[in-house]
Amino acid sequence: MERAGEIVITTGGPRGARRGARKWGEIVPKGVVTSVALSGIWLMAFIIFFLIKEGAPILKETSLTEIALGQLWYPVSNPPSYGMLPLIAGSAAVTLLSSIMAIPFGVVLALFISDVCPERAREFCKVSLEILGFLPSVVLGFIGMAVIAPHMQMKLELLSGLNMLNASFLLGILILPTIATLSEDSLYAVPQAMRDASYALGGTRCETMFKVVLKCASRGIAQAAILGVMRSVGETMVVLMAAGGAAIIPLAMSDPVRPLTSTIAAEMGETPVGSPHYHALFFMGCLLLFITIALNILVLRIESGGGEK
Amino acid sequence: MEEAKMVTKSLFMSYSRNAPPALKDVTMDIRANSVTAFIGPSGCGKSTFLRCLNRMNDFVRDARITGRVLLDGMDIYSPEVDVTNLRRRVGMVFQRPNPFPFSIRENVAYGPKLLGARDESVIDEIVENSLRSAGLWEEARDRLNDMATSLSGGQQQRLCIARAIAVEPEVLLMDEPTSALDPIATARVEELVRELKRDYTVAIVTHNMQQAARVSDTTAFFLMGELVEYGPTDVIFTTPTDQRTEDYITGRFG
Ligand SMILES: Nc1ncnc2c1ncn2[C@@H]1O[C@H](COP(=O)(O)OP(=O)(O)O)[C@@H](O)[C@H]1O
Ligand SMILES: [Mg+2]
Repeated sequence: MERAGEIVITTGGPRGARRGARKWGEIVPKGVVTSVALSGIWLMAFIIFFLIKEGAPILKETSLTEIALGQLWYPVSNPPSYGMLPLIAGSAAVTLLSSIMAIPFGVVLALFISDVCPERAREFCKVSLEILGFLPSVVLGFIGMAVIAPHMQMKLELLSGLNMLNASFLLGILILPTIATLSEDSLYAVPQAMRDASYALGGTRCETMFKVVLKCASRGIAQAAILGVMRSVGETMVVLMAAGGAAIIPLAMSDPVRPLTSTIAAEMGETPVGSPHYHALFFMGCLLLFITIALNILVLRIESGGGEK
Repeated sequence: MEEAKMVTKSLFMSYSRNAPPALKDVTMDIRANSVTAFIGPSGCGKSTFLRCLNRMNDFVRDARITGRVLLDGMDIYSPEVDVTNLRRRVGMVFQRPNPFPFSIRENVAYGPKLLGARDESVIDEIVENSLRSAGLWEEARDRLNDMATSLSGGQQQRLCIARAIAVEPEVLLMDEPTSALDPIATARVEELVRELKRDYTVAIVTHNMQQAARVSDTTAFFLMGELVEYGPTDVIFTTPTDQRTEDYITGRFG
C-alpha cells in the first residue's frame, strides 16, 4: 500500500523537487517529535538524578536497615531517629485498603456500564465517572474532614474520625474513576463474537459477563487496577487531610496513619535544606518514585503479552 | 428417511418495526441426522433464519418474529421455554472462528462447566471426546493448555465445533463455517460435517454451492427473505422446479 502511494507521489511532478520537499516534510516533524520526546526523558532522568542525589546522603546518618525496619520516626528529636517503617506501613495500608474497596467495585461498575447499560445510559455513566475523576483531591479531603470524620467518630465511638479507614475510603473514591473507566474501555472492546459464543453454548447473561467478558478483558482490567494503585500510592492531599498523621504502624482500621506522601508534604517546608531530615524526606521521594516506576513497568509488561504463553 | 427435528411454520422476521421483513413466510422441515444446507445470495436472510432457530435474534431489541419454530414438536418461542437450555440443545458455529482467549482445554470445557461439570477427570474425558469428534485431537492432544489463539484458522474453527459439541447438542447450526478458511481447512471441515450427521442434525449456511452439493442431503434456496425452493440436494442441483433456483445455481446471478 505504502509503496503504491510513493510511486503516485513521485511521478506527479519534477522528481527531485518533490522528493526534497517530501524529505524535509518528514525530517522536520520527525526532529520536532524526537526532541520533544527526548526532552521528556531528559526531564525524567534529571528528576531521578536529583532525587537520588538529595536522598542518598541520609545513608551517611543511619543504615538502610534502620530506615527500613526502624519503628520510630523522630527526625527532629535529639538524637534523631529515621525509622520509616510506620510511614511505609501507612502508605501500604491505605493503598491496600483503598484498592480492596475500589478495584472490585470499579470492575463491577465497569461491567455494568459495558454490558448491562443501554447505549445511552452508558454515555451518561461514563461522563459522570469522568466528572468524579475531575474532583480536586483537596475537595475530597475536605469532605473527609468535615463530613465523614465527625460521623465516623460518633457512630463508631472512635477517638478520631481522621484515620486509615477514612483516608482509604476517600482514596477509593479518588481512584474509582480511573479503574472503572479504563476497565470499561477494555470490557467494551471485547468483541461481540465472544459474547455470542457464550450465549450460543447456553450461557446466561451473568455467566457470559463474569466468565467470558471479564476474562477476555483481564489484561486491560489488571492495567486499570495497577494504575489505580499507583494513584493511590502517590496521592498526597487526601491522606494529609484525613489520615490522622500519626507515625505508627496501624493495627486496626481506626488507627491514624501517616503515609510517605503526607509526611513529605507536611515536613518539607519546616526542615532546613541539606539537613539529615531533608535528605530523609528526599529518600522517601525516591522510594515513591521507584514504586511508581515498578508499577509502570508492570503495566507495560502486561501490555506486551505477559499472560500469554 | 427420518422425521423432522425442527420445523418452521410461516416464519416472518423483521429487524425493526419499519424494516422490510428479513424472512417472509418460511415453512420448512429440518430432518434429523441429516445435513440441511441453506444457499442464496448475500443478504437473502440465511443467517437470519439460522439465528431464529436458536433464538440468537433475541438480542436484536426491536426484532419481531411471528410464526412458529418447533424443536421436536415444542414451540421454542413459547414463554415457558428456557432459552439457555434451548441454546444448549441447538448449538451454533459462527462464520469467523471465535474461540475464547483461553486455553484449548478451557474452550471446550466452558460449556460443560456451565452445565455443572466439576470433576476434572470427567471434563478431561469430555474434552478428549469433543476434540476427537471435531477431528482436532491428534493435533491438539499435546498442547491442550496452549492458548486457543495459537491455533491456525482452520484448527480454531474445528475447536469451535468441538466446543459446540461438548454440551451434546441435538442440532448444530453452522453459519458459513468455512468462509474464513483456506481450501485445505475447508475440506477438513466439510469432511467433519458429513461425519457429524451421524450423531447430530446439522443445518449449514453456505454461499458456496459446491459446498452445499458436497455436504448436504437437503438444500434450501433463499432469495430476498423467501424460501424459494427446498428439497433433496441432488434434485435441487439437477432439476430445480423454480426458474430462480436454476438461475442461481447455474450462476446467472449471485
Ligand atoms: N442486526 C441486523 N439489524 C438489521 N438488519 C439486519 C441485521 N442483520 C441482518 N440484517 C438485514 O437482514 C437481511 C438478511 O441478512 P442476513 O440474514 O445476514 O443475510 P445472509 O446471511 O443471507 O447474507 C439483510 O438485508 C440485512 O441487511
Ligand atoms: Mg450471513
